[in-house]
Amino acid sequence: MIWFTDRHCFLLAVTFYGLSTLYSVFLWRKGFRRDEWVNYFLLSAGVVMHTLAMLKRGMTLHSCPVNNLYEATTFLLWALGMASLVYALLPRFKFLGAFTAPVLFTVGMFALMPSLDPHGLKPEFSGALRSIHAATILQAYGAFGLAAVAAVMFLMQQHDLKFHKLRAMLTLLPSIQRLELITLRLACVGLGLLTVGLVAGEQMPRHEGKPYFTDPKVVWSALLWLVYLELIVARLFLGRSTRRFTFGVIIAFVFLLLTFGITNYYSGLHHS
Amino acid sequence: MGSGADLAWLLTAEFSTLNLPLPRLISVVVIGLSHRSAPVELRERFAFAEGKIPDALASLRSAGLTVETVILSTCNRVEIYAATDLAPDVAFAELRRFLLAHHAFDGVLGEELYTLAEPHSLHHLFKVASGLDSMVIGETEIFGQLKKAYDLAFTRQHTGAKLNRAFQRAFNVAKQIRTETNIQRGSVSVMSAAVELAEKIFNSLAEHEVLLIGAGETSEKTARALQSRGVSKITVTNRSPERAATLAKELGARTVPFEHWPEEFERIDIAVSSTAAPHHLIDRAKLETLMKRRRNRPLLLIDLAVPRDIDPAVNTLDNVYLYNVDDLQSIAQEYLKLRHEEVARCETIIAERVATLLEAGKYAAGHSRQ
Repeated sequence: MIWFTDRHCFLLAVTFYGLSTLYSVFLWRKGFRRDEWVNYFLLSAGVVMHTLAMLKRGMTLHSCPVNNLYEATTFLLWALGMASLVYALLPRFKFLGAFTAPVLFTVGMFALMPSLDPHGLKPEFSGALRSIHAATILQAYGAFGLAAVAAVMFLMQQHDLKFHKLRAMLTLLPSIQRLELITLRLACVGLGLLTVGLVAGEQMPRHEGKPYFTDPKVVWSALLWLVYLELIVARLFLGRSTRRFTFGVIIAFVFLLLTFGITNYYSGLHHS
Repeated sequence: MGSGADLAWLLTAEFSTLNLPLPRLISVVVIGLSHRSAPVELRERFAFAEGKIPDALASLRSAGLTVETVILSTCNRVEIYAATDLAPDVAFAELRRFLLAHHAFDGVLGEELYTLAEPHSLHHLFKVASGLDSMVIGETEIFGQLKKAYDLAFTRQHTGAKLNRAFQRAFNVAKQIRTETNIQRGSVSVMSAAVELAEKIFNSLAEHEVLLIGAGETSEKTARALQSRGVSKITVTNRSPERAATLAKELGARTVPFEHWPEEFERIDIAVSSTAAPHHLIDRAKLETLMKRRRNRPLLLIDLAVPRDIDPAVNTLDNVYLYNVDDLQSIAQEYLKLRHEEVARCETIIAERVATLLEAGKYAAGHSRQ
């Protein structure tokens, strides 16, 4: 089975995410009324293959597989998929996967582009600090992603309740208060992880003449950190409405997804 | 596969050919009246007081009319489920005579009293247990009432193999229908729709305080429905402080003077309004100020008053959810419509389960253990 590489595993994972996305459309059309596990199992199958892909790559490299854009993206998606599987076990959160699957599928397709994973790329730095830096930052993005998913669920349910749609009553989604709480908690967790990741990155050895806080990727991460901090502080202490907060969480994550690859490309520190 | 009646006929023919003494073939029959067949004036005339049911069961048995009996008497139906060795026509005539005599009824009774023999009697029992024959389709109260009626007969040894099996199967079918279909899903009354709505907004009702503006019957019913789902903190306000105090005492709530209710909005999360005020008590401008003081926490407003107490424009405010009586009624009606759509699925399950019961040869030719 030598021919069966980690990329094949990831391809299978993305296929399962695709199936889960298709099934999610069906669930969406049905208004999330039936209490069932099909989507959870599809997503689980995807996450299992995804984990296998990362394990294979990690064992080949003898380190955490976060050396290029492909690996970073797959790590981010893995954190998102895993977290959504865990959260889906909470009462009335079973349909969380239906909202996560489209993100996993579309970003997973993007990650599969061959140019994102050039062969022979070797990490210049290795060690625990580097692994902590990469893993915490990517897990932070996963938490932000899941916060955005919960925010979408919140806005959908809030819209239906506001406009007196029967769908709001029939659906098996959690209460909007709970969805807001989950969104807020995940955003806080993400912010905490991002802080740890940025601090760990600052401690890592660098080439001469490459200051940490002038690197495009670091500036971008610091900007994200500020955006999430503002969102959380405004919601918790300044009485900003839940609607604006959730919209903010979604927009911030979409921005993260769209600019993640670009900043990585222009980052000297991440290409040295 | 033949029905139970066919099987009984075949067995009778077989025993006649062989010149053997016929075993006592027992079948389940139903006689009764319900909200579908009789008005309340007639139903109440035939209702059995709970304390009188044991005597009635004993009378039927001692008169040799039934071998096993269960009497179900609720506000919507009075029914006798009997396992009898009499031919159905004879059993129906005797049971009818018993009912008229027991309730000293000398009026004219026609279609109001229905009679059902196997397999229809079993089909009916399964439908009743599942709430399909109830006034509010899919309601669950009847399940408990039927269980209580059966338990009463069982503990006094008025049931045997035949009815035990039929009733156990009926309870089983009701549970199956409850889990496999949406027949019991949703709120079909305004009050329960309001409670369900609150549960869609708030995580746990136990943590939230309710303000009742108006101390009428509607407020009381809604408050009781909310209490049944965990609400413990209720504040009552009314133009007449005496009425507010009376209701507060009944609900275990506290009162606030009517002119001070806006101050409560900082603490409460659900407000139920049902006053007779001719104008809006809450308008957008007033609520906007109150919402700032609440730091934009979600607020559910239930306006049960006609004319309305709350300006519909408040629904445009962020984190405010306003439902009036029409909104809640339309939710209840939609749920009812959905329940009716589920009936066909339930009927299929019942038909299959009745057939299984009848196909068990032992059942069709079964004897009572008594």
